[in-house]
Amino acid sequence: MIYLDHGATSFPKPPAVSKAMLRALETCANPGRGGHRAALQAMETVYRCREQASALFDCKPEQEVFTSNCTHGLNIAIRTLVKPGSRVVISGFEHNAVTRPLHLLGARVTVAGRKLFDPTDTLAEFEKALSKGADAAVFTHVSNVFGYILPVEEMAKLCRRYGVPFAVDAAQSAGMLPVSLEKWGADFIAMPGHKGLLGPQGTGILLCGRSPDPLIAGGTGSVSLQQAMPSELPDRAEAGTLNVPGIAGLCAGIQCVRRMGIGNLLSREQRAARECVRMLERKGFRVFAGEDQSGTVSFVPTCDCEAMAQRLAQKGIAVRAGLHCAPLAHESAGTVETGTVRVSFGHDAGSFQITLLEQVLREGKFEQIENYL
Amino acid sequence: MRNHWLITFRSVTFAQHAQKELQREGILCQLQRTPKMLTSRGCGYCLRLRGVDALPAVAILQDEQIKYEKLYALDESGTPREQAL
Repeated sequence: MIYLDHGATSFPKPPAVSKAMLRALETCANPGRGGHRAALQAMETVYRCREQASALFDCKPEQEVFTSNCTHGLNIAIRTLVKPGSRVVISGFEHNAVTRPLHLLGARVTVAGRKLFDPTDTLAEFEKALSKGADAAVFTHVSNVFGYILPVEEMAKLCRRYGVPFAVDAAQSAGMLPVSLEKWGADFIAMPGHKGLLGPQGTGILLCGRSPDPLIAGGTGSVSLQQAMPSELPDRAEAGTLNVPGIAGLCAGIQCVRRMGIGNLLSREQRAARECVRMLERKGFRVFAGEDQSGTVSFVPTCDCEAMAQRLAQKGIAVRAGLHCAPLAHESAGTVETGTVRVSFGHDAGSFQITLLEQVLREGKFEQIENYL
Repeated sequence: MRNHWLITFRSVTFAQHAQKELQREGILCQLQRTPKMLTSRGCGYCLRLRGVDALPAVAILQDEQIKYEKLYALDESGTPREQAL
């Protein structure tokens, strides 16, 4: 299989990830719940991952909350920053992981910056919205549909200038682009462990620049006589037993990312994306491309996007079609009706993948595909 | 038990962070559960320092802004006595 769906999850994982998970299953008990060897081993395993992440994201180990995915982290962040009726500014490229929690809370949402690959417009619209008054801002670093890299550093500066607390969705950027809690001065940065960080599914990290409101309450292995959740991070937001095998795998994934180097990974993925854009344009598809683009490319095929993805899957090429859980981004790009086919490159990006994709597109007779599966 | 100390923490992550920082500075310490009689709010972890002066260790934690709870000196019988910080 030629796997071009890294936007959904990185695959395959480095062998070190499954090895670390197996080792954790065989040696680790419950972290923070005892003083025996297996409990200490679990604590050491978890802490090692915190150290790896803190080196990558410029934060202290205790500022990291382990979550089950990026959505989990975003929910903690959003429920801390946003209350019913709060005025919240978001970008035009947000995932449902941001828009649905805001909808659930009854926030008054302003969408700012809908032009693809236009950071100047994004910043101008964002500032305009902030200047009208906002209680919070939530924005993605990279669009999961189009790979548009938003100017988050400048957006963070604007938030700080207007005194607006903010959270960043780093679902598509962590492990690929520099992400810094300290430099951005963010209140929260949420990320999955299983995408660019190469860890297993079921893992994520929430970087906390401030104390969050707990999303769930329960045992933390600390201050047990107190019924309120502990005030200290990460315990405050880590009720219940941690996913130790997952965290062990995530640690191995982050180590791989650090060894390969974030800059190297990014340029490799971007090179593949640019090559892919040229190939798709030659084929006559409507392709979304720009300067500030990650390793993700979306295009509108001449047939139904799901039908094309299905046909590609039959030919051994894995892509994702549809709305990618981000209807707002499709609204911004005018592709809600058609959806897109998304090709997303990862740590194994290379020309051979594009050559094979081109070959399948040439031989696939896609113009003959009916608009149903 | 001369120069034996316990530094208590409210969160195991802080205790681990403290342990790494102290070890980086050459101060050996052991992570363990806090004795029940010292946990006014129940369950916690502490670092046990043996045969060293606790003050440089505490200074390192303060420099690194690592939150600790209390410092105890262990007397000859091993009984902990809280030290003013």
